[in-house]
Amino acid sequence: MVLVMLWKEIIDNLRDRQTVFYALLFGPVLLPLLIGGGLVASLKQATVSFDEPSPLAVSFSERAPNLMRFLQSNNMDVETAPDDIEASVRRGDVAVVLEVPDDFETALRSGTPAPLIIHVNDSDKHSSKEARKLHTLLNAYSQTINALRMQHRGIDPSVFNSINVRLQDVSSNGFRGQLLASILPFLLIVAMVMGGFYLAIDTTAGERERQSLEPLLSLPMSRYKLVLGKYLAVLTFVGLSSILTAISLYLVFRFLSPEAAGGVISFDGPTIRTAWLLASPLIFFISAVLMTVAASTQSTKEAQTYLGLLMVFPMAPFFILQFVNIKSANLTMALPMLSQYQLLERVVLQDNISTTHIILSVTGTLIATALLYLAAVKLYSREKIL
Amino acid sequence: MIEATNLSKTFVGVPGQPKRKVVAVESVSFTANDGRITGLLGPNGAGKSTTLRMLATLIKPDTGNATIDGHSVTTDVLAVRQHLGFMPHNAGIYPRLTTRENIRYYARLCGMDAAATETRVNELIELLDMGKFADRRCAGFSQGQKTKVALARALVHRPQTILLDEPTNGLDVMATRGLREIIRQLANEGHCIVFSSHIMQEVAALCDEIAIISDGNISMTGSLETLLSATDQQSLEDAFVVAIGGEL
Repeated sequence: MVLVMLWKEIIDNLRDRQTVFYALLFGPVLLPLLIGGGLVASLKQATVSFDEPSPLAVSFSERAPNLMRFLQSNNMDVETAPDDIEASVRRGDVAVVLEVPDDFETALRSGTPAPLIIHVNDSDKHSSKEARKLHTLLNAYSQTINALRMQHRGIDPSVFNSINVRLQDVSSNGFRGQLLASILPFLLIVAMVMGGFYLAIDTTAGERERQSLEPLLSLPMSRYKLVLGKYLAVLTFVGLSSILTAISLYLVFRFLSPEAAGGVISFDGPTIRTAWLLASPLIFFISAVLMTVAASTQSTKEAQTYLGLLMVFPMAPFFILQFVNIKSANLTMALPMLSQYQLLERVVLQDNISTTHIILSVTGTLIATALLYLAAVKLYSREKIL
Repeated sequence: MIEATNLSKTFVGVPGQPKRKVVAVESVSFTANDGRITGLLGPNGAGKSTTLRMLATLIKPDTGNATIDGHSVTTDVLAVRQHLGFMPHNAGIYPRLTTRENIRYYARLCGMDAAATETRVNELIELLDMGKFADRRCAGFSQGQKTKVALARALVHRPQTILLDEPTNGLDVMATRGLREIIRQLANEGHCIVFSSHIMQEVAALCDEIAIISDGNISMTGSLETLLSATDQQSLEDAFVVAIGGEL
């Protein structure tokens, strides 16, 4: 009987475009692509890679043969710059142009600062990134020449380095890693909520609005079984949505190198699998929340309002954890959502996770689920449900 | 067979006034026998739907009791539902499912196995002449088609007792006549049928027994002839007005 209900709700809702769009497309595919993909793209852009060869347009490269050799040995493919330098940089034909003025050689020989000009379009991200990279390389070249000159004059170059500052970050990741790590639980939970959102409304408040609840409740089946059937239907969509999200996150983050993510951070297959497993109790919890809230409302409009407000909840831990450094106390590990957020972040950051915390998280979430489920049965036993 | 005694129901809270009490049914007693069509006739808001909902175990009576084929609506809920086919005043069918799927769903929920379900669904499609729209999704069905689907669903588990809440609402003449024939046929097969309506001709044309309900009370019961002679009137409409204490 319960399976009959489950099957009917799945078929019925698969025929509803809105439900299918939000449950199987928006949450699991579009959101990871938009947020995750956007993040990956922006990180890639902000990350300067010295390992990949990149072209560099140089004007009058023949004036500085040694510099050209240095640049080439640092993965820069020197090319001849177009004639109208400014216009072509502005148009984006070339990212930057390095111009060697005619007094470069003489200045270098005489030991005075030798001029070099970088033509950059700072309003273009790609151009300014290439300029930064070029600047770093030129600084390195300058230091090499400095060192050579001093050694030539019998001075130890390190004399001029009076202080050597080293920045040691004790977290296993930078801010970037932290942000990326919290994006996984965030997207996973949002997708779960989206996945069950319309189904929960349709099977409860929607059923009441279509006035199909009255004949349904007069059938020879207990309220307990009725709620179970509806719950399993919501559960199926939430679960499906979370699996799809895990898959699309895996695909999106395959394009992200560990360095770009700020060091020790991982989005490989096993990581995402572990993360999904740790988040899986939430499938039960979120389904129960959605169904119970929807069952307590009088119309689909009311249900949409309340559940819309509820959408803030999966986001709350995300923002709280961004600003407040919550110590992973046992209490917060027993709270649904908050505990999964913390656990998933650690999985991504490849920190150790204690078994106690996992047990607390699973137990806490499942107990909350059971309470919500009982509340739903109670709501369906009320006469007011009609 | 239905035996209702002193059913009463008071609702607390109406929209905007959460504490106001509304007496929907004050005291309703009547008997409906097998093989007979019993009409529950009353103006809007008289308590017809509330009475039927109490009989269908959807709401619990505050006082009194009723038995359906010997099972109490207050204590033996599941047995009552097994013996009862209830069609509420709105069809309440699933628009994204086809006629066949709508009926099949209820059959399976009532515990019928797959083979028995298919036989019964085909039987009902034939009985209610639904062949033309059996495999069409119900969104956009006419009121008559919707009513047929809802009736088929209510009959799917072969209940002995059938409750129909204003089944002819929104039906055209031909559809109404068709439905009447079906109801008559079901009664001839020995089913106990309770039929609520506020339309006099409807009740006069179809019902063997009439219970007039107004302000939550049964004011008179009996066959059409009994009612006419008791009120000394020529038509059911006049008899009805007299029975509920109105002036002609």
